Amino acid sequence: MKNSTLYNIVHNSKTIKIRKGLDIPIPGTAERHVTLLRPDGYTYAVKPTDYVGVAPRLLVAEGDNVLAGSPLFEDKNNPGVPFVSPVSGTVKAIMRGEKRTLLAVVVEPNEGMQKSRCFDPVDPSDSDKDTIAKTLVESGLWNLLRQRPFGIVPRPGSCPKAVFISGFDSSPLPVDYDFILKNDFTLRKSHEDFQWGINVLARFAPVHLSLNGKTQRDSFLASVANADIHFFEGPHPAGLVGTQIAHIDPINKGETLWTVNAQDVAIIGRLFRTGNYNPERIVAFCGPDVDKPEYYSLISGADLPTIVLKNGSGKQRIICCDVLSGVSINGGFLSASCDKVCYIPEGDYYDFMGWLRPNFRKFSFSRTFISGFFKNSKLGAKMQYDTGRHGSQRPLFVTGEFEKLVPLDIYPMQLIKACIVGDIDLMEELGIYEVEPEDLALCEFADTSKTEIQAIVRNALEKIRKES
Amino acid sequence: MFLRDFFDKNKADFSKGGRFEKLSSTFEAFESFAFTPNTVTGGRVGSCYRGCHLRDAVDLKRTIIMVVIALMPALLFGMWNIGHQTALSYGLDWGFWHQFWFGFLRMLPIIVVSYVVGLAIEFLFAEIRHEEVSEGFIGTGLIISMIVPVTVPLWQLALAVAFAVVIGKEVFGGSGYNFLNPALVARAFLFFSYPSHMSGDSVWVATPFHFSGDIVTGATPLGQLMAGQSLSASPLDMFLGTIAGSTCETSVVAILLGALLLLVTGIASWRIMLSVVIGGGAMGLLFNAIGANEYMDMPFYYHYLMGGFAFGCVFMATDPVTAAQTNTGKWIYGFLIGAFAVLLRVLNPAYPEGMMLAILLMNCFAPLIDHCVVAANRNRRKKRWLAAERRTI
Repeated sequence: MKNSTLYNIVHNSKTIKIRKGLDIPIPGTAERHVTLLRPDGYTYAVKPTDYVGVAPRLLVAEGDNVLAGSPLFEDKNNPGVPFVSPVSGTVKAIMRGEKRTLLAVVVEPNEGMQKSRCFDPVDPSDSDKDTIAKTLVESGLWNLLRQRPFGIVPRPGSCPKAVFISGFDSSPLPVDYDFILKNDFTLRKSHEDFQWGINVLARFAPVHLSLNGKTQRDSFLASVANADIHFFEGPHPAGLVGTQIAHIDPINKGETLWTVNAQDVAIIGRLFRTGNYNPERIVAFCGPDVDKPEYYSLISGADLPTIVLKNGSGKQRIICCDVLSGVSINGGFLSASCDKVCYIPEGDYYDFMGWLRPNFRKFSFSRTFISGFFKNSKLGAKMQYDTGRHGSQRPLFVTGEFEKLVPLDIYPMQLIKACIVGDIDLMEELGIYEVEPEDLALCEFADTSKTEIQAIVRNALEKIRKES
Repeated sequence: MFLRDFFDKNKADFSKGGRFEKLSSTFEAFESFAFTPNTVTGGRVGSCYRGCHLRDAVDLKRTIIMVVIALMPALLFGMWNIGHQTALSYGLDWGFWHQFWFGFLRMLPIIVVSYVVGLAIEFLFAEIRHEEVSEGFIGTGLIISMIVPVTVPLWQLALAVAFAVVIGKEVFGGSGYNFLNPALVARAFLFFSYPSHMSGDSVWVATPFHFSGDIVTGATPLGQLMAGQSLSASPLDMFLGTIAGSTCETSVVAILLGALLLLVTGIASWRIMLSVVIGGGAMGLLFNAIGANEYMDMPFYYHYLMGGFAFGCVFMATDPVTAAQTNTGKWIYGFLIGAFAVLLRVLNPAYPEGMMLAILLMNCFAPLIDHCVVAANRNRRKKRWLAAERRTI
């Protein structure tokens, strides 16, 4: 193994410093405590809408009995890659939206012990790539892989240039992967699973694991074998895998690479270590109005546990994953690869002369508010965070904002304009392959003109994907 | 709250299908002026939305109001200076408040005409396009009234504003899509259409009300230099702004106060401001080195104090829509504005002031500058692709 002198490599490896970006200090980060939720108290859903460009073909009907790991539907564009049930039980409902598009397959778990599909344990270090890929595809875990560019599930048989994993979260209300992956109280041995997962992925391509240079030098993640460890420091988006790719080995036209969520790596490893399909994960429930923000151990796709909110908190939006790029799931089920659920108050109020008053409580990246001068101080956590748009949509007007927030070698304003125009050659040359919508989420946050930048970038990527 | 109730009660009439549907943009403009809208990210509460759920508190109204506040010192000083110049020229014994009041009364119609004409056209276009009224003109309208001579005939001003809004902005799609600074388009329109009302010595000093004697003239420093005369104002006068000139352009101190606010809030680009100053200084020094005539020999920093250099540098070159958009581009754009402004002043025999033309010229070149700057990034990326391809082969 090439990392036999791993300790030296890690402790001598240079830190990559990110200077551009912004930390948004929303209060209510999850405390390091895990509550175990029994799987049979909830229903579970698998949603094609969690994935980019999936055209689902149903493989079950209402009332069918399934095991954890049984196929529920597959993608017509990527046949042979099943999306599987997270629990054993009965298919309770098939939810459809406009034009009968499949929104979700809902499974009600059976009482008592969960029964899951079993696979022969495969030791990644002495199996070939094809065997490993076959196990991943059959078990449905292939869907945890994301291919860049386009953010899609990769085709089976494809091989990336490299695999990138971010081992820390820098987005607002960050989760602690050290805590999540080392939490052994459910006897899952997550940190062993994580190593197994890395071993699996390393059979496909070199694995790059990026860690926080300030807090994770002594973490167990820093001594993971079979991966190149990189340290990043700086404000969000230092923890986004897109930022890390750009600084480690930027993607070129025609190349593909994979990104995997750190907890998903452990889930992949678990299957190979134990032979059991077990999509249990630890999810943080957090936000300024959550009474006791903490971690819950549950199964992917669960409907929301009851979270106690503080007295006097108003309407809340429930957001799966990062508040800057996640999806709102009011009353619904957790999305795939979800590490945190954020509760943010809805901001549907009128603000009298809001554009004129000095305002001490609204968070702003700009310094046009008094509060803008204190955004990095302790006062930042005392500000009011809500989902209000705080203004009307306008054409892109102010310049120089985005450049302070995007630590990539691209011109964000020009790229966004090229996406709006739909000029593919121009988009390519301006670096569209190097971004996913989440990489420009901070631009969307700070934009004076309130443009829906992530939607624009996603549409542009889909346009290119469909034409190529 | 009374105002909120009023808007809520009448909203239906102004929405689609209501009695006053055709005035929906107007209603929206007044409502969003009084209250920041209650819109949430993703459109409506409870919708399934993927994207940024939090938004910065800043919006375009906030941005524009910062510019308006930054203009206030120059505006207030300009009002006083109108009265001061008149009192000085006509030998009147007016106190401070009298001078200010006189200037206020002379300035008010100019501001009102500029806003009424400009906003009327903006509202009209918004209604026709079924769009929201953009707040861009709140800044532009005030700037236009601040850069004209105090004696400007109001009908000429009205025409200029209409021209600037329609040809300078709306034909390209409205605020945010224009490539020329609308305030300067208005100024250029006046300058080329009615030159005798816009330059010369007779336009800079307002006559007192009910005055029936000979009109007194007041020469600007640039006018004097152009005519080959020596300067009558000291650098300190020019810095403080107690000289004749366009209504609110004269005081560098007042403009610097505004610049301070724009820089502290980050609204205007410090790169542009600094590079305009560097560009003007570099060209001034170059002329000092040549020294072919008295104008060229003038200390280079005099250029900062005269005419519209400071005002243009702080409030007009920095207009984000018409300036270069890349950071490198901003340096080039600003430097060339400063350099051209001084070049035009010293070498052009036709016009005493070069700042307006320099900014308009560079407005035209800003997209080209950005194109070249961005091309470097594109080429770098293409080279990386090629290198990667070679490695795999």
